[in-house]
Amino acid sequence: MAEISFPLPDLGEGLIEATVLDWLVSPGDQVERNQPLVELETSKSALELPSPQAGKVIRIHGAPGETINVGEPLVVFEVPDNTAGIVGTVPKDDAPKRRVRLSAVLDED
Amino acid sequence: MSESTTATLEAAAVAGTRPVRLSMQQALNRALDEILATDPKTVVFGEDCGRLGGVFRITDGLQAKHGESRVFDTPLAESGILGMSVGLAMAGFHPIPEVQFDGFAYPAINQIVCQIARMNYRSRGTLPMPITLRVPSFGGIRAPEHHGESLEALFAHVPGLKVVSPSDPHDAYHLLKYAASRPDPVIFMEPKSRYWQKGDVETSDGGTLTGARVVRPGRHLTLVAWGAMVARCLQVAELAAEDGIDVEVLDLRWLKPIDAEALAASVGKTRRAVVVHEAPLTSGLGAEVAQLITQSCFDTLKAPVERVTGFDVPYPSGDLEDEYIPNIDRILLGIQRVLEYRRG
Repeated sequence: MAEISFPLPDLGEGLIEATVLDWLVSPGDQVERNQPLVELETSKSALELPSPQAGKVIRIHGAPGETINVGEPLVVFEVPDNTAGIVGTVPKDDAPKRRVRLSAVLDED
Repeated sequence: MSESTTATLEAAAVAGTRPVRLSMQQALNRALDEILATDPKTVVFGEDCGRLGGVFRITDGLQAKHGESRVFDTPLAESGILGMSVGLAMAGFHPIPEVQFDGFAYPAINQIVCQIARMNYRSRGTLPMPITLRVPSFGGIRAPEHHGESLEALFAHVPGLKVVSPSDPHDAYHLLKYAASRPDPVIFMEPKSRYWQKGDVETSDGGTLTGARVVRPGRHLTLVAWGAMVARCLQVAELAAEDGIDVEVLDLRWLKPIDAEALAASVGKTRRAVVVHEAPLTSGLGAEVAQLITQSCFDTLKAPVERVTGFDVPYPSGDLEDEYIPNIDRILLGIQRVLEYRRG
């Protein structure tokens, strides 16, 4: 298994920090891509931050009320080693399927 | 398990006499790590090869271990990556550059064909090019354009280049170490769709690393393949066995030079052959293989050599990939055509 850290992204308008309002996931949760992770408040607005990827949450940073700077770790995911890189997907090793059957009389001369 | 058995097994593992189970990714990473550790002249570089560890994790952890001067990132310019390899080789280094994807090799064709392939010849042997160019190759991972191409015929056509493609983790580990030890430039085509499948790697004994390898013996017909198509041909061989057809699978491994003797030995026995590759049909390596077989086995062949290949179109988008890459049914149909053939 590999760990992937998700740092607090730039939430727009050049804001440099955000305050955690409420966590919507806990360590140990399996999350899907785009699933809301956390409610944050900036000096402009409150918002729900979606997950950038699927994976198991193993650490969260910042208790409700604490402030996190952009670029600091927010969530650490655990993902299987056999996930694809930046491009493409890991092919499934499905059981082979066939429609064609061979029929031949072999003349073994 | 008794304590003494455990101790024996551990000792065997330490001595490297027991196979380790690795993915091709891990096997290649391990091979690079060992090459870097034993040959101080080796340098590894390419797009995202350093800090990130490669988009396929093949160079993962190598920069941290061997330093930024030996494992490093390059700009997004393949002509620069290969041009720099020429200069490094001239200066006595053993470069192992990476072109991140097959289709990214095109911008570096001038450096590969006009410099790397012929510098040794041009300099009367005074400027050898001990370069191992790693190219994640072939399709099968639902990637966009330029990420699923099969360039083996292009490279094999260039005098001065050697071309090899492993089909499993064991061969990947040993063939990469072997290629890196050669004085000539080697194009090392890694079947990217097989990166994640695990296999036993006998690190202490690579076996024969030159030429082709019979991966499944059979009596009635030889399937010739390389790279990712070897695994598919093994599946086909199992299915053919259900129908009473005993198929031999020959992994060509080296695509330049091609092991003509192994082709002659296998097809001389089975008297029937089908070549399978992902690359387009026309002027693909299948034609070369078919000719070599015809040359050695013309008198005993039961049927013309069949080719089951990709189509003469640009590599399609991921959604159409399964229609393009030879699938099980298309290979079985190729076998059927050979079995049905009658002279006259």
